[in-house]
Amino acid sequence: MDTDNMRTLTLGISAYKHYLPVVTQFVESSAMVFGLKQAEYIRLSLATEEIFLYLSHFVCPGKSLEVQCFNGFYYARVHFRFSAPELNLSGLNIASTIAHDRESDLESMGLLIASRSVDYFHVAVEKNNRVCLTITKEKIYPAYEEKIPEPEPAENLSTGTPDDERLKVFALLTSQHYSLPYRPSFFTHPGKLVDMVHGKEYNAIIALNQKQEIVGGILLFYRSEKIVQFYGPYCFSKAQEKAIGEALFTACIASIARTKALGLLSLWGLPEPLRNNFEALGMLRYHEEGKIPIDEVSFYRLLHEDPGFEVWSGANMVDYLRREYQRLALAREIRTVRDMGETRSGRSLFSAEVYREQSTVTLRPVMAGNDYQDNLQRHIRFLRNDHFLNLYVELDLGIPWHAQLIEVLLNNHFKPGIILPFAGKSDLMSFQYNDENKS
Amino acid sequence: MMKTNLDTLVPAYVREFEPYIPSKPDDELKKLYGCQNLYRLNNNENPLGPPPGAQEIIRRFSPPRGAVYPSGDSYYLRQEIGNINGIDPDQVVVGNGANEVIAFVVKAFCQQGDNIITTDKTFAVYEWVATFSGIKAKLIPLKNERFDDQAMLESIDENTKVIFICNPNNPSGTYWSKDTLIAFLDALSGRQMVVVDEAYFEFVKNDDYPNGISLISDYPNLIVFRTFSKMYGIAGLRIGYLTADLSVADMIRRTCVVYSVNSIAQEAALACLRDDTGHIAKTRALIGTSRAFLREELAKLHLPIIAGEGNYLIVKLPGSDTLAYRKLMREGVMIRPMTGFRYPNHIRVTLSKMAAMEAFVAALKKTLET
Repeated sequence: MDTDNMRTLTLGISAYKHYLPVVTQFVESSAMVFGLKQAEYIRLSLATEEIFLYLSHFVCPGKSLEVQCFNGFYYARVHFRFSAPELNLSGLNIASTIAHDRESDLESMGLLIASRSVDYFHVAVEKNNRVCLTITKEKIYPAYEEKIPEPEPAENLSTGTPDDERLKVFALLTSQHYSLPYRPSFFTHPGKLVDMVHGKEYNAIIALNQKQEIVGGILLFYRSEKIVQFYGPYCFSKAQEKAIGEALFTACIASIARTKALGLLSLWGLPEPLRNNFEALGMLRYHEEGKIPIDEVSFYRLLHEDPGFEVWSGANMVDYLRREYQRLALAREIRTVRDMGETRSGRSLFSAEVYREQSTVTLRPVMAGNDYQDNLQRHIRFLRNDHFLNLYVELDLGIPWHAQLIEVLLNNHFKPGIILPFAGKSDLMSFQYNDENKS
Repeated sequence: MMKTNLDTLVPAYVREFEPYIPSKPDDELKKLYGCQNLYRLNNNENPLGPPPGAQEIIRRFSPPRGAVYPSGDSYYLRQEIGNINGIDPDQVVVGNGANEVIAFVVKAFCQQGDNIITTDKTFAVYEWVATFSGIKAKLIPLKNERFDDQAMLESIDENTKVIFICNPNNPSGTYWSKDTLIAFLDALSGRQMVVVDEAYFEFVKNDDYPNGISLISDYPNLIVFRTFSKMYGIAGLRIGYLTADLSVADMIRRTCVVYSVNSIAQEAALACLRDDTGHIAKTRALIGTSRAFLREELAKLHLPIIAGEGNYLIVKLPGSDTLAYRKLMREGVMIRPMTGFRYPNHIRVTLSKMAAMEAFVAALKKTLET
């Protein structure tokens, strides 16, 4: 066991099922030390049990396994890292069944079951068949909806990084002025927002009036290595929405202009006065149980010159991509992939990123195979059966074999949603499952 | 194959630094953006090119000399710079562009835990070199588009080693007068090094604009940068220099890599300094005409500008500068989007020949309409 800045604890172990108590005890104890309550760490432990048994039975039996617990302040995260023979990797599809002859039996699906106990589940395959399987359990925080007095109109606006107390006021004011789904649910939990910022994954910038009262704010985080996503800007004075929004936008740009970020993204709309500063990427539809779906426009801006590069497509998407790249004024050379009768071997693998609270799963192709159609349909079937309402597939247009999937996606009710420039090896294309007749 | 663990081998401040992505070559950009011609208005290059004497040096460079090492310390060039400025040639350190001399200075004066001070909206390389060297860069916001002398003085702490002043500032074009610079140096009393980057020195005609080199004898903590990339039009050869007090230059020279400046660059730079064809006056006249033209045209479009000294100006757009870059590229005009300089929705345009200026205005009008 070792430590890394007191935030990471690591256990090295072999994947034998009789080691199960060691692993679950390690995860449970770590989560307890990180501040999770019993109800929370028990669920993390349950998911750990499911995953460890699945790995030691089917994916990497007896192989070396690294279990890492990370303290994210508002969550505990467990990474399972291991190498597996390529033949076994397809077992990491979240829709893989332990017994393939009982596909309809959800109870036989180790990974999907594990994902039910946690808030976030992710499988990624790194280089040389090195796999990282991640589960995350968030802490439960008290909700506050107290009314904060309205701030005075700002004559002199300033921006800055909030201390903990101002961060809590920012959360309360945001919940007061914006209802769900027009802001994330965590703003109802000021303590959670404080921990999110302490964990250094999120940065908050607030706007203050002359009396140092909060009149607005914005929350930023790295969505990927090159893309910064933000929530807001939230303005607590409708009459000053433009001035406050622009001050926050300028401060936000100043904070990331000379970082590794290449793009700035909002997936949840943008106040009208700020839209000129951004480009509308397109629209994604969000479903929530028992509610009318919401179509939300995504806004984006590059932070630097677009160097231009090539992207790959199937023949049936070339016209669409050409139109989109023309509309977005992005310089891309579109190349097409063709099936010319070559042999494709192996079973494909999709990584799955599962956010249970948002009822959302994003699939990403990790390994090529000759079973795209079957594999995708199996994912759709099981994820829909498990009541996920928002299914997305993200393809990296910089990777030629990803483009082989375009036809399969279009034939299975996936529709192109938005292009995210620079979000992968080149641009990412997000497809959304849209089988309105069946939903 | 053994895996190299770069997380342990590479310092965090290097791993976390994002390398600058330079533009692709013009021909590649033309193909990507589908334009026939490309006006380069992004790098503040001199459209007149180098003075005739320097052009002759480049044209006549004998290929076999490519096998021979250059003067390791730019001997003849330093002599000439010394003569022109009335200083000892050993007070001059020549580098592979001014970017290299920035690195010389940071390496000479800073170690882990130290910091440099500059502003948020200026030439990025001071901040970059400090950051990827593990040195903190303290960024004091411009005040009314100018370096804020008082705020910079107040931000100095016991770990501050070097203060970088870009004079005139790229991109805002503002400058400190001689009085302001002297007052600033007096306030420091030699406790920190002050770098005055005069990359655009030859473009400024105003009487109150200081010649930093002339102040070095009174202020031995002053280092002055100059370049041959802007007024003298040999950016492609990469050559710049610094001048400093003899003892300071001696320290900086210890961090230099000799032979980093090639022979053509040294000889062309020498020819630039000896130019007697009025290259500077011609360039200034061209810039003046272009600036006046753009002022008028941009005013008609109701676009605010920030135009001071130097061969560039900034235009504030009603929307995204990076989108404007892409749209202007399609029209064959390359400008510099300024988000990376922390001026979102602004573009910087190099003042150039009238054909380029007219093409820029036409393309900008079209861009604003779509």
